[in-house]
Amino acid sequence: MRRSEAGHQHPTIARRTRRRQFVWLAVGLVGIALLFAIRALTADQSVLALPDTAQDFLTLSISVIVESMPFVILGIVLSIAVQVWVPDTWIMRVLPRNPFLRRAAISFIGVFLPVCECGNVPLARGLMVKGFTVSESMTFLLAAPIINPITIITTHQAFGWDDGILVGRILGGFVIANLIGWLFSRHPDQDSLLTDKFAAECRVDAHSHAASRWQESVALFRREASVILPALFIGAVAAGAIQTLVPRSVLVELGSNPLWSILAMMVLAFVISVCSNVDAFFILPFASTFMPGSIVSFLVFGPIIDIKMLALLRTTFTVKTLVQLTTVVALLSALIGLIVNYVA
Amino acid sequence: MSPRPPKTRLLASVQRWRGVVLMSVVVVATLWLAATNQLILYIHPRYVWFTVIMSVIALLFVVGSAFLREPHDHDDPPTRRQNIVSGAAVALSVAIAAGILIVPPATLTSATLESREINGAGLGGDQGQSVTAASTTTDAAFAKFTVLDWSSLLRQSTDLAVFSGKPVDVVGFVSAEPDDPDNMFYVSRFVVTCCAVDAQPVGVPVYSPNWSDDFAVDQWVRVEGGFATNPSRSSGQAIAVLPDTAEVVDQPGEPYLY
Repeated sequence: MRRSEAGHQHPTIARRTRRRQFVWLAVGLVGIALLFAIRALTADQSVLALPDTAQDFLTLSISVIVESMPFVILGIVLSIAVQVWVPDTWIMRVLPRNPFLRRAAISFIGVFLPVCECGNVPLARGLMVKGFTVSESMTFLLAAPIINPITIITTHQAFGWDDGILVGRILGGFVIANLIGWLFSRHPDQDSLLTDKFAAECRVDAHSHAASRWQESVALFRREASVILPALFIGAVAAGAIQTLVPRSVLVELGSNPLWSILAMMVLAFVISVCSNVDAFFILPFASTFMPGSIVSFLVFGPIIDIKMLALLRTTFTVKTLVQLTTVVALLSALIGLIVNYVA
Repeated sequence: MSPRPPKTRLLASVQRWRGVVLMSVVVVATLWLAATNQLILYIHPRYVWFTVIMSVIALLFVVGSAFLREPHDHDDPPTRRQNIVSGAAVALSVAIAAGILIVPPATLTSATLESREINGAGLGGDQGQSVTAASTTTDAAFAKFTVLDWSSLLRQSTDLAVFSGKPVDVVGFVSAEPDDPDNMFYVSRFVVTCCAVDAQPVGVPVYSPNWSDDFAVDQWVRVEGGFATNPSRSSGQAIAVLPDTAEVVDQPGEPYLY
């Protein structure tokens, strides 16, 4: 598919294309310099400071964005690697044929691609374009944020082996991912689970016009950023707004009630929308107040479903699919929390 | 491909470049925050390097996507409904991007403190100090205790025997004690374990009638003094710091505690 641009073009056209490339490079560099200049100049302008509540809303939203952005970038980079640089058939060849074993194996792909849930959305999109079925990519999407080295290490750092929290999280994530994968694999028309736009992208190989793998890579970066970033921003704003408006004590009070504590933890996970790679540190301070099962529910539910994640998933799946997904995952997370509470 | 009307072309290029532009804004703001040591206003210091490295990679892709533009436009022209939805999304995103780029970076304020219970349940047992260890702590060490250290002791005990005679020297921002706002304030800090999203407020109660003549809420102060039985009738706090000195100070470089 690689073609040299100059190879089939008239020399003057090639030269003109080259000149335009450098013009755009200059535009890009000047643009970045300009952004730095604006930021540096506005930093001390107290005129631009906001009233307290609005300022805190902005601080919290930015915090969610800044916290997830490196993982989103990592996810996009890995998605580019999978789509452009890894040979087409390699991934498909090494996976088992039996659908159950295949999904079980897919659950462990996260071990090699340590991204959190927001980075996994571009990656899962890439895998679907590469030929994964919808249910298989869903298994990946649900399992990878939990069964990956960074999440396991940070969870271990936070909780050690206490109360079966780490084991509950890993097993819980694995079970939910495979159950969901199996459920959606029963769906007769897999494409109907996807948004029309993304389904269309999966059907045609849209990248064949690119002149080189590098060009294909940056084109993919541009596309994925266009889809993912507005979704991330909206998710972060929603998460920031709810935290500014709903007093934390409401959730904490619910949490000290054994019956409601699992539910409260899941609502908290849904609202705060932090990435799976770091959420163990987030929840650590609550460990003394909440029962271990509730912590496990938080750690299993949060990586799969939260406000930010729903906004991101909406780029790819239909609303109906997401409602079904949320319901099943919520019920299963609560069940796993109850089991851990009972056992621990 | 037939030439498109200008309006459609504009929309198409917004659709095409919005991600790259938003990414540039966030990444530039992040790198600038890191360079000026303010990234810790948003995330825990342990993530700073990872965030900086990924930001630099993103910046390379941004430059690359300007340099290696595709020869053709593959994106389908957006439908009317898509335009409305994505228009709203883009408008909101641009507003937030502007906030990231031009609003001066700030710590959380007492507005967030009010929505999260001070010295509340969301604090771990291993953060701060323990009463048993405190019995052998020297005065010099007590003088170095932060707001977090004191507040963790206060959550375990309000027995004056543990606290009396110990020198208190703490820096934090002012927030009014809700039950007796005229006579008492907290020297407060936020404790962060992951990012500003999980910031938990902690505070040392100070009894100082008419404090609001000298300080404003959210102002940073340094208070020196010692604990005594709380003279306030309406406050639920059994003990409080009676200040020897209390002065306004600059916001510290690391406003959050870890």
